[in-house]
Amino acid sequence: MQNGNKPLLSVRNLKTYFFQDEGTVKAVDGATFDVYPGKTLGIVGESGCGKSVTAQSILRIVDQPGRIVEGEIILRRADGSEVDVTRLHPDSKEVRDLRGAEIGLVFQEPMTSFSPVHTIGNQLIEAVRLHCGGNEKEARQHGIEVLRSVGIPKPERRIDEYAFELSGGLRQRAMIAVALSCDPRLLIADEPTTALDVTTQAQILDLLRELQKQRGMAIMLITHNLGVIAEMADDVVVMYLGRVVEAGPVDDIFHNPKHPYTKALLHSIPSIESAPRIKLPTISGSIPHPYNRPSGCPFYPRCESFMLGVCDAQEPALIAVNALQKVSCFLYQDR
Amino acid sequence: MSDKQSQVILDVKGLRKYFPIRRGILQQVVGNVRAVDDVTFYVNQGETLSLVGESGCGKTTTARCILRAYPPTAGQIFFRAEDGNVLEVAKLPPDQIQPFRRQMQMIFQDPFSSLNPRMTLLDIVGEPLLVHGEKDANKRTERVAELLRLVGLRPEYMRRYPHAFSGGQRQRIGIARALALNPRLVVADEPVSALDVSVQAQILNLMLELQEKLGLTYLFVAHDLSVVKHISTRVAVMYVGRIVETAPTEEIFSAPRHPYTEALMSSVPKPDPRLRSERIVLQGEVADPANPPSGCYFHPRCRYMTDVCKEKAPALEEITPRHYVSCHRARELTLRGVVNK
Repeated sequence: MQNGNKPLLSVRNLKTYFFQDEGTVKAVDGATFDVYPGKTLGIVGESGCGKSVTAQSILRIVDQPGRIVEGEIILRRADGSEVDVTRLHPDSKEVRDLRGAEIGLVFQEPMTSFSPVHTIGNQLIEAVRLHCGGNEKEARQHGIEVLRSVGIPKPERRIDEYAFELSGGLRQRAMIAVALSCDPRLLIADEPTTALDVTTQAQILDLLRELQKQRGMAIMLITHNLGVIAEMADDVVVMYLGRVVEAGPVDDIFHNPKHPYTKALLHSIPSIESAPRIKLPTISGSIPHPYNRPSGCPFYPRCESFMLGVCDAQEPALIAVNALQKVSCFLYQDR
Repeated sequence: MSDKQSQVILDVKGLRKYFPIRRGILQQVVGNVRAVDDVTFYVNQGETLSLVGESGCGKTTTARCILRAYPPTAGQIFFRAEDGNVLEVAKLPPDQIQPFRRQMQMIFQDPFSSLNPRMTLLDIVGEPLLVHGEKDANKRTERVAELLRLVGLRPEYMRRYPHAFSGGQRQRIGIARALALNPRLVVADEPVSALDVSVQAQILNLMLELQEKLGLTYLFVAHDLSVVKHISTRVAVMYVGRIVETAPTEEIFSAPRHPYTEALMSSVPKPDPRLRSERIVLQGEVADPANPPSGCYFHPRCRYMTDVCKEKAPALEEITPRHYVSCHRARELTLRGVVNK
């Protein structure tokens, strides 16, 4: 791979807070992970765990009143130079050059992320001309090629259609086409299949895998669906309330989970492979409201291994438990 | 009446619901969206039948027709009331719908939009009691407290508003409201799909518990096969307004007989990286219910398609006891199911 084994993107202790009148929401509170070229990093977590805000932080599109307050996001460019995205101004030319050209983004809901009053072609050609240059005609030709590469039939005709004329699956393919139009080295897919049916989901996941093989790009796949993670990811980051609780290779996460949250989550999901009508083990309680974040380890009020005076007093650090796996839990730390 | 029949609480025969497509100044009907197109199934007392399928397959429309939220276009819906009388729901005159609904209640998908933010829990859960004639406020309060306890909420919370509760708790409120009138049949339309994964299990367990305790019958509408497997005693798979297969849960998952069921199960991502199997990925798109293909609706996407599939629509036949399949090749094909761990 290019750049040997160096990560394409390194996120270090990223903190993105939203400052509101009612209080501060610590959407991302110290996230650390790496994305390697040609590999898929899965980021998994439930609502409010900060997985989407992490993606938005990387592209510097965090909505007001959100702000990156700390941390680094190091992107290694094709020529080997490094840039810390957090130090750039969100409206600067440098950041706009990264979006689309270096990092592509696929959103969850293809219907709301396309403009309803412009054709697919308008939006695709705009992206191509903005990030890759070229004249209208070349950009259109390129657009048709990209649409073809994501498996849209009759792209010469589809390019002049509006988003509402396409089915959910085709719309998501078009969304991927826009994200890939400038050949980014990193594709961030934020819940790319959540709004789709299972059979369409299988098509889109196959497509992403195929495109990754062809282009050698890295994928950062954000989802709450553990099945999709197991199917797609090489490495996994498990997040809970803005923090990384566990990280490691996909096989270890599923077959040798360390953090009580990962374990409980894996046990509590209904699986198509378990016997019908049995009671599922559950995680007690629910995800705390962001204004009432627990002190100490964010998971302790729901944790079965909770240690009084330890878990509620200090925050555990993310430390390596073996060569590949990292966990943030006091069970694995010398206190 | 035979013994088998006396257990049937809901019997749907040839149900159709078409939505007209209107065009032009005169709003002339130019076609129909066949949302539900000849659906036949039954639900036994005390069981959970799941209607499963992809978006647009007509599962929600079927459920709404049964509740008479939509008037059906054609077909019969027989419902066995508490007193043993069988009602023809599809032909019920409007003034008799309300008393009938006491026996059939619904749990909605989204607990954020299905609870009125300006009403307290007492009002929300107590409203069905009021509508159905319980005028005594004290009795209502008592019953609401009992219901909240039943679904695992503290009765002291009954004067609070829905915003004070999390998604899982709100779904419990929705369940309490559905149970207020001691219904015999509960129609649950995607009751856990809006919830976080760690909370889904709590609600599924609650529904199983309540079923045992109160002898409820569920008609469960869902798209998530893992959830369906957990809650159902029998499963009916729908595709473009039709039922393609019905069987007891264990059987339909281990030995599906319809190619669509096989593909649907195969495309569910399994939460185990060691099982990155060769999935069956269906090509193309779900057929348009306004303009369905000839013959079997699934034939353009089917791996086992033959000439007869293009011409003739297969009937829903009982292949083995309680296993109904609508496929010309159901008897000869050996399809891949899901192996239990």
